[in-house]
Amino acid sequence: MKWNIGVVTSNLPYLLRGIRVTVAVTFAAMALGAVVGLFVALLRMSRARGLQVLAGLYIDLWRSTPLLVQLIWVFYALPILIGHSMTPLVAGVLTMALHVSAYLAEIYRAGILSIAVGQRHAGLSLGMTPGQVLRRIVLPQAVTRMLPPIGSQFISLFKESALVSLITLPELMWQAQSLAAFTMRPLEILSAAALIYMVLTLPQAVLVNYLHRRYLAH
Amino acid sequence: MGGPPRYTWRFDVVLENLPLLLTGLWLTCTLTVLCMLLGLGVGLVVAFGRLSRWRLVRAVAFAYTELFRTTPLLVQIVWVFYVLPIVSGITLSPFFSGLLALGFNVGAFMAEIYRAGILSVNPGQTAAGLALRMTRAQTMRRVVLPQAVTRVIPPMATMWVSLFKDTSILSAIGVIELMFRAREIATDTYRPLEIFTVVAVLYFVLTYPQSLAVNALYRRFRMQE
Repeated sequence: MKWNIGVVTSNLPYLLRGIRVTVAVTFAAMALGAVVGLFVALLRMSRARGLQVLAGLYIDLWRSTPLLVQLIWVFYALPILIGHSMTPLVAGVLTMALHVSAYLAEIYRAGILSIAVGQRHAGLSLGMTPGQVLRRIVLPQAVTRMLPPIGSQFISLFKESALVSLITLPELMWQAQSLAAFTMRPLEILSAAALIYMVLTLPQAVLVNYLHRRYLAH
Repeated sequence: MGGPPRYTWRFDVVLENLPLLLTGLWLTCTLTVLCMLLGLGVGLVVAFGRLSRWRLVRAVAFAYTELFRTTPLLVQIVWVFYVLPIVSGITLSPFFSGLLALGFNVGAFMAEIYRAGILSVNPGQTAAGLALRMTRAQTMRRVVLPQAVTRVIPPMATMWVSLFKDTSILSAIGVIELMFRAREIATDTYRPLEIFTVVAVLYFVLTYPQSLAVNALYRRFRMQE
């Protein structure tokens, strides 16, 4: 076994392009997922029984199947159903967004429900509407409790984004694997890819640990 | 007339290939059990490494958990399959590569679960054990671990459910589990919609009761998820 680091440094721009896609896809999916998740959480907490059940089913569907199966289904099966093909980018971002939205919906809900009922009653008795109570009293307190789990979810999503390489989206893992095959140096290239993921994930983990200590220390 | 063309569902294609899918499902279940067993063992060793008196042992165990927790599972699996043979000189089948990668991945997460469980037991209990002239090992075995177990079980069950889903990633290195079979059959029959839909439903039907059981465990041990 002889290491040839030169194969990594000379192909660094190629890997950097992959990193850019990985980061962009993660942020796009997280942003879209955050909005969809909020919508689902509100449905889940609505007074209409039918909507509750529907939102619950949505959450369970996304949480009880593997992300890889979801990706493959959206990329290879859904186009047949809707009669439109999708680019790997659209399929990847869409699937990751809906996947994470299910987890985020539960985080939002847990955060909102963790605020004592007394606070809600106090707001209502002061003549605020339910919407005002949610906006002015419940959410400001709930948000700090939601931040740490949302951060953990972001890290998971960042790592899971490697799976979209399996539907041929050229993010970091895809770039690394095609480079490894092309140069026939999987040792250096794949080790470098692992190192890059680690270097990018560690600061996120440190930040999320800080959020946990800051907001969830009981 | 607008809209997508009418699609004729052909579930008989799925039915014809059901035996193949079931062999895949069998391997998925086998892998989940084996990886969990490996992970439980590795995790225990690493957890005690993390709690060791020796700095070097602590550092190695810490590096191990961080390495596995900060890189994507797919990267670990692909690395073990393509790079480990170059490093070690031993070629492994997809099955054993997958088992190793996923088992050691679970080990890293289990180590943290064990450690959190052990640390959650009040230090006064250890002090009391030592004051009664038990050795450190005896205190750990008789006093700390029996209490830690109930706090370890619910997150361990959560780990099991993610593991069950994560085995699908092993299809990427050619392990012939459920997802691999599905992709194979979808390509052979040109019926990805039916095959992948049925497989998604299969995963759901198998995972959902497990999730419910996990929730029940959390309630039973009065923990918050």
